[in-house]
Amino acid sequence: MDEQFNKDPLSHQHFLTFLLRDECFGISISSVKEIIEYDNVTPIPLMPDFVKGVLNLRGDVVPVIDLSIRFNKSATEISKRTCIVILEILFEEQIVTIGAVVDSVSEVIEINMDNIEPAPTFGARIRAQFILGVANVGEQFVILLRGERVLSLDEMAAIIEKVAD
Amino acid sequence: MDMTQARSLFIDEANSLLADMERFLLEIEAGDATSAQHIDAIFRAAHTIKGSAGLFGFDHIVAFTHNVESVLDKVRSGQLALDGDLINLMLQCQDHTASLIRQLEDESSGIDLVTGTALIKQLHLYLDPAPVVAAAPTAVLTDTEHWQLDVHYGEDVFRDGMDPLSQLHYLQSLGELQQVRLLPHWPAPAAFDPESCYLQLKFELASTASKQQIADVFEFVQDSSKVQISPPQQVKASLAALPTVDEKLGTLLVNAGAVTERELQSALSSQKEHDNNQALGQVLVDQGAVSSEMVAVALDKQKATEHKRPADFQFLKVEARKLDELINLVGELVTAGAGIDVLVQEIANEKLKESFSVLTGLLEQIRDGALGLRMVQVGESFSRLRRIVRDVSKELGKDIELTVEGADTELDKSMVEKLSDPLMHIVRNALDHGIESKELRLYKGKPAQGQLKLSACHEAGSVVIEIADDGAGLNIERIRAKAIEKNIISADQELAEEDIYKLIFAPGFSTAAAVTNLSGRGVGMDVVKRNIEELRGQIQISSVPDQGTVFRIRLPLTLAIIDGFLVSVAGTHLVLPLNMVQECIEFQMSQQDNERNYLDLRGEVLPFIRLRQLFELAGPPQNRENIVVVQYGKHRAGLVVDHLHGELQAVIKPLNTLFRSLRGIGGYTILGSGNVGLILDIPQLVQFATTLENQSFVH
Repeated sequence: MDEQFNKDPLSHQHFLTFLLRDECFGISISSVKEIIEYDNVTPIPLMPDFVKGVLNLRGDVVPVIDLSIRFNKSATEISKRTCIVILEILFEEQIVTIGAVVDSVSEVIEINMDNIEPAPTFGARIRAQFILGVANVGEQFVILLRGERVLSLDEMAAIIEKVAD
Repeated sequence: MDMTQARSLFIDEANSLLADMERFLLEIEAGDATSAQHIDAIFRAAHTIKGSAGLFGFDHIVAFTHNVESVLDKVRSGQLALDGDLINLMLQCQDHTASLIRQLEDESSGIDLVTGTALIKQLHLYLDPAPVVAAAPTAVLTDTEHWQLDVHYGEDVFRDGMDPLSQLHYLQSLGELQQVRLLPHWPAPAAFDPESCYLQLKFELASTASKQQIADVFEFVQDSSKVQISPPQQVKASLAALPTVDEKLGTLLVNAGAVTERELQSALSSQKEHDNNQALGQVLVDQGAVSSEMVAVALDKQKATEHKRPADFQFLKVEARKLDELINLVGELVTAGAGIDVLVQEIANEKLKESFSVLTGLLEQIRDGALGLRMVQVGESFSRLRRIVRDVSKELGKDIELTVEGADTELDKSMVEKLSDPLMHIVRNALDHGIESKELRLYKGKPAQGQLKLSACHEAGSVVIEIADDGAGLNIERIRAKAIEKNIISADQELAEEDIYKLIFAPGFSTAAAVTNLSGRGVGMDVVKRNIEELRGQIQISSVPDQGTVFRIRLPLTLAIIDGFLVSVAGTHLVLPLNMVQECIEFQMSQQDNERNYLDLRGEVLPFIRLRQLFELAGPPQNRENIVVVQYGKHRAGLVVDHLHGELQAVIKPLNTLFRSLRGIGGYTILGSGNVGLILDIPQLVQFATTLENQSFVH
């Protein structure tokens, strides 16, 4: 099995897995810039709950999003293990840096693309368009996310605009 | 020499000269200036364009500008008066030249021969009639001088895209060519390359031009060819006649026209290279640039001069990108400085504090200096409007006088650029819809001449630009009806006067019954408003029926770094622009419980905004709160905050797209502690609070 991976690099991808409310999610590491601990997030007034605020990342001001609320679940409780995954998302042909709050980061895993099953049309209680697919790793299901959809700046900005009005 | 680069330089230069020409013509027309200096400058512009175009062999431009130049020359010598008709013609010529230049950039568009020929015909009317005038050139010829030129063309001249013939043609426009001798250096037939140039030309030129002017003709072949220009006897006389100023020998010779700047430079560098103590005069003689007698005269002259330095302004063209990089770096420096400041306060070492405060002072100066580099006068965009006012009022048959105030007010260069479109649009609107026709004005008992006033001034840390007309004013009923028709508001919606004016900024709104080709061409006032908001500015309208309309545009001074005042509410750091902060007062306990949001500040009513409430920040109010009194324009307001932290320099970072709907916050900045501070946009904040309060009445 392992040999097969090494022969064809296109057949597998690396994913960063993390926990969100005891569920395991994965996101392609090609969009992950770094992982930092949750600290020094400045709240922005009048923002909907899923916008945690902004963060100073070595001189760049990066918005921080609570993924759990974005998935219509309750807010992430900040603990020692809470992390911010800094992601680079393509938006209007520009790379935009954005932070996502997760309960804890687990590991980087290799997943054979053939082993990824399509997203269940219902049952995950997350909008289907956010999900790239589901993979069975060990004894656990990992929900693989589409970063550019989950953190679509355009869509989030539209939500914020509605709330502001 | 890179031809495309030289060509773009030419286009650049020509455009700026054309802009000068236009400005001077308009100033003369408006009666602001009739001085000979202006006419001189206009003449020089036409002359230089002709000269440079000749170098590149743009014969059609030379042919056209030659006629323009001839007429201007007559104006300059007082043979022709620069009256309204001639100015009009000159402006048309200026337009045509500009279109010829544009055509060089965009070769797909054809040359407009019809206009050109028509204009030349008109120009000839000024040139031909008087026989006295025709005699003038011969009279001039008698006292011209004979320059000796020896041009040894390099082999690469043709390959560089240069044509000796076009240079000769051009020289003919400077004077008369005499005794032209062609001395070709043919190589052995086997080595002959048809693409190489083997020419050497020796000739005399009878001309009153300076050596620089003549040398300019050969500017683009100088690198590959050997050009020797020997001045005639007469230059010596002009050298002796030069006013007594303290100059170096080289400069003296250049001023007299005996040596060109380039020859001087090469002589100076060869002097340096050989590291000998040979005098500059001798080097120049050896190079064949000048005769030894000439140097002697110049040396005599130099001895006679006293030590006085002429003061003149010098400008330097710098790439905008370099300036932006510098300002970015200064921004980083300011942020880093704020970080150190926090540490210095913690360490509390007196000596350290002292030397750091010196550093901070210098940093502030560097910041102001760097930002000042980008500042330009608003007048630049005003002068473009002048032309529009003139053309549009002619087209509409209205008589409109434009007055300009405060054209020397400075504003960030990038803002001036982005401002020119919105300004143009507002001005066009004012001319087209605002100011009535002559008949209507007379009927209303107003003077027939309409007034349009453009003014700029500094006001509480921002720049205010006003466009005021004395026209019909905005028609509230018509705007309302139109807005209802276009579904912008509902028919039963009650709106204050000011809010109705604002409707004209709504997308898809245009009150003009007929779309003229001036305004109402799709780009609506909504674009104007958006452009201004992109610059963190506001636009306000006030209008009185039959007395006129005033558009007020308020803009921040700069887009990069501001002096700020740091406060905090419920742990959130907020930065107010320091120049809007008037004073800080303690928020009395007795007023805190009160429901009303205004207080008595030394006998005046001061409305205030509870930022904690407005921004829905967590936590109960502190025991001790403060009020920061801010002022912008004529408005004054108080902001209730928890803590005052003092001044800081804030490098403005624009808000993320995500927060585009956020009102009252203009950007972020990184504080010394590494935290992010939010920069308040006070006018927007007050407006936001007002809207919220009005909404609460409706519900």
